Amino acid sequence: MTRRSFLTVSLRLATVMGLSASAAPALADALERIVRGRAHTLWLQGQCCSGCSISLLDSEPLGPDQLLTRQIALAFHQTLSGATGHQAVETVDRSIAAGGYILVVEGAVPMAMPQACFFGEETFASQLTRAARAAKAIVAVGTCATSGGIPAAEGNSTGATSVPAFLKHAGITVPCISIPGCPAHPDWIVGTLAHVLQFGLPPLDELGRPRAFFGKLIHDQCPRFSDYERENFAKNFGDDGCLFRLGCAGPITKADCNLRQWNGGTNTCIKAGAPCIGCASEGFAAKRDFPFYLKNGQLRPQGEHGV
Amino acid sequence: MKETISVSPVTRIEGHLGVKIDTADGRVTSARVVGEMFRGFEQILRGRDPLDAQQITQRICGVCPVEHGIASILAQDAAYGVTPPPNGRIARNLAQAANFITSHITHFYLLSGLDFVDVAQVTTYKGNDAALTALRDWAKSELANNTVNAGGPFLPQFPAQLIKDPSLNLGVLRHYLEAIEVRRDGHKLGALFLGKLPHAASLIPGGITEKITAIQITSARALLERLRTFIERVYLPDVVAVATAFPSYFELGRGCGDFLAYGVFPETEGNGSPFLPSGALIGGKLQRLDIASITEDVRYSWYSSASGRRPTEGETVPAPEKAGAYSWLKAPRYAGRPMEVGPLARLLIAYHDGRDTTVKSAIDGLLKTIGRNPADLVSALGRHAARALEAKLLADRCVEWLDQLVPNQPAGVDFTVPATGSGVGLTEAARGALGHWIEIRDHKIANYQCVVPTTWNCSPRDDRDQPGPLELALVDTPIADAKAPIEAARVIRSFDPCLACAVH
Repeated sequence: MTRRSFLTVSLRLATVMGLSASAAPALADALERIVRGRAHTLWLQGQCCSGCSISLLDSEPLGPDQLLTRQIALAFHQTLSGATGHQAVETVDRSIAAGGYILVVEGAVPMAMPQACFFGEETFASQLTRAARAAKAIVAVGTCATSGGIPAAEGNSTGATSVPAFLKHAGITVPCISIPGCPAHPDWIVGTLAHVLQFGLPPLDELGRPRAFFGKLIHDQCPRFSDYERENFAKNFGDDGCLFRLGCAGPITKADCNLRQWNGGTNTCIKAGAPCIGCASEGFAAKRDFPFYLKNGQLRPQGEHGV
Repeated sequence: MKETISVSPVTRIEGHLGVKIDTADGRVTSARVVGEMFRGFEQILRGRDPLDAQQITQRICGVCPVEHGIASILAQDAAYGVTPPPNGRIARNLAQAANFITSHITHFYLLSGLDFVDVAQVTTYKGNDAALTALRDWAKSELANNTVNAGGPFLPQFPAQLIKDPSLNLGVLRHYLEAIEVRRDGHKLGALFLGKLPHAASLIPGGITEKITAIQITSARALLERLRTFIERVYLPDVVAVATAFPSYFELGRGCGDFLAYGVFPETEGNGSPFLPSGALIGGKLQRLDIASITEDVRYSWYSSASGRRPTEGETVPAPEKAGAYSWLKAPRYAGRPMEVGPLARLLIAYHDGRDTTVKSAIDGLLKTIGRNPADLVSALGRHAARALEAKLLADRCVEWLDQLVPNQPAGVDFTVPATGSGVGLTEAARGALGHWIEIRDHKIANYQCVVPTTWNCSPRDDRDQPGPLELALVDTPIADAKAPIEAARVIRSFDPCLACAVH
């Protein structure tokens, strides 16, 4: 594409977005960056399982190869980078020195035990502080990064902390978007990055989550909603019917899994007979006494379920 | 001349790994393998509902979630006294095998590939292939515009001897792009039965929650055919070609030479008759697996808990300031020995076991193709070959398993969680032998211990100062350039380390 064609597309886009024609050149810049792969992005991992990275690799129709060569210039990613050892450290440091990138963070930060996560000779907490200060925007990916997740569950000894809480503690005010999910759905990651690159920050809720993906309860889009209405409840795993009495956290979890489905539309938890375990909810796995499943006639403590 | 080289972080593996290498006159004299991240899953599991375990432990690792889920479910099946009906057992096998296949393809191309392939060479590409042309134009524009970290994440690579033959080099690079697409099909195959991946939804004690239907079987067959075609026509030939181009790696990275497997893919009622059998191959002799011989030392690990315990009595108390310690991994030992686990261990044990002739003839066939003998498999390249061959064996077996599914028959049985109980779940992850130990008291988890494949392979020294398998494998590796220790990187990555698993 030529500069002229970027401008033509941008004029059309500006109209669609309800912007004035004067916004077109800025949009054209953003588009050009995207198409030419110049939106500088840095992906760091703390206390994580790499599940969100693996989930991103499952992205389609925008495959990871197109994402990396067309949409973002991914300077570094621990699981994908050619750079090894000191090269990897130098690569990250070059990005930090240049600044102005989008910083993606996967995983929690062990604030009470910084030695619980290293990158080269540096603790992750120290690296994240440097990287966050020089970033244009931060995207916390996955529930470990957005609210601490399993590493921060009761009984943890590392003081695992979410990225937004860590940034607040460090006095860093760079805007941070939260994409929860254990793992995060690839569309949630790709869609959010695309919005940031093309149109700036997407509309966010009070927890910093993109409303486009986390605006509605799982329960409200449930394929078994009519079973709930008719009080046709599954008693055992594998039964037809609403999974509420088996512990389904759909009524307290906001995410669009039921509409979007997983693995390129192959399936999703509730469709497969599995109660939602609330992996995208801010309290995911946090409390020992809030089990994922109910069995043997167990009931949840009063008031812990929103329905 | 003596030097100490630090390779940290080791990228293109799962998680946080560092390796400290001592060399003398350009050869490795000793190595210390460092696990650099800890979360504390075993402490977090205590006091929780036992049914939480299979969801929590899947989150130990985003690369091997199905296997952790299965290990936890097998431990719970044992504790609750249930076994899945045939549909449930077969569906678990299919999902687990599919995750192995995705993991193996991901490992060879996305993780190890850049140790062999010269990415920058794509700028000289003159052919008409759409994907390579697009990659060439992208790489040229990146390099010409001198962006920050141009060519990331693929560049920079170590300045080292990579594949010389341009057609092989560009061929493997083209297949890297294909692998990115094909690996998704393994996850789709798993998601058909388990709801989603990574982190499966529908594993449950007694079976799975998903129903078996004709459309699901048909979809699985279509996905499987694409995987089989890729493995046979692309993955296996590429491994043979890379092996031919780097023959010295049949001599390097030999390791401890003893192998352990727990058995995986049960083919009869009651989770019995694993397709790939269990055993301990010590000094070339196959012994029956004795799980009472498994202990974990922590002398060199950042834990203050007692050393040399069996997993049933194991504890995990972090002590990051502990003097003399150098890793977050414990040091599992079998009858006091370090043991290698993984696809190579599984195939060698099946080869010696000999009950299933398909494995033996597949190994003999591959060895004939590459002109090698079985002893050569105990090497860095042997691990790649075993992984690719296992992918083929499993994809073929999945076809048979799919034929055994019966639509509309149950895939699970009901169960009751007892107030008190215990169970062991032994299975295999893509990276090797995986065990979960659960103890239930008062309806809650009283203790939970996981002994994980990479804990075996990347273990630090034990109480008797015996190095772990990777530490041993690195010894004698020549390092031509201390600033670009590609040889060590190739040996390390041949084990397919998974550090989130290893430490958990």
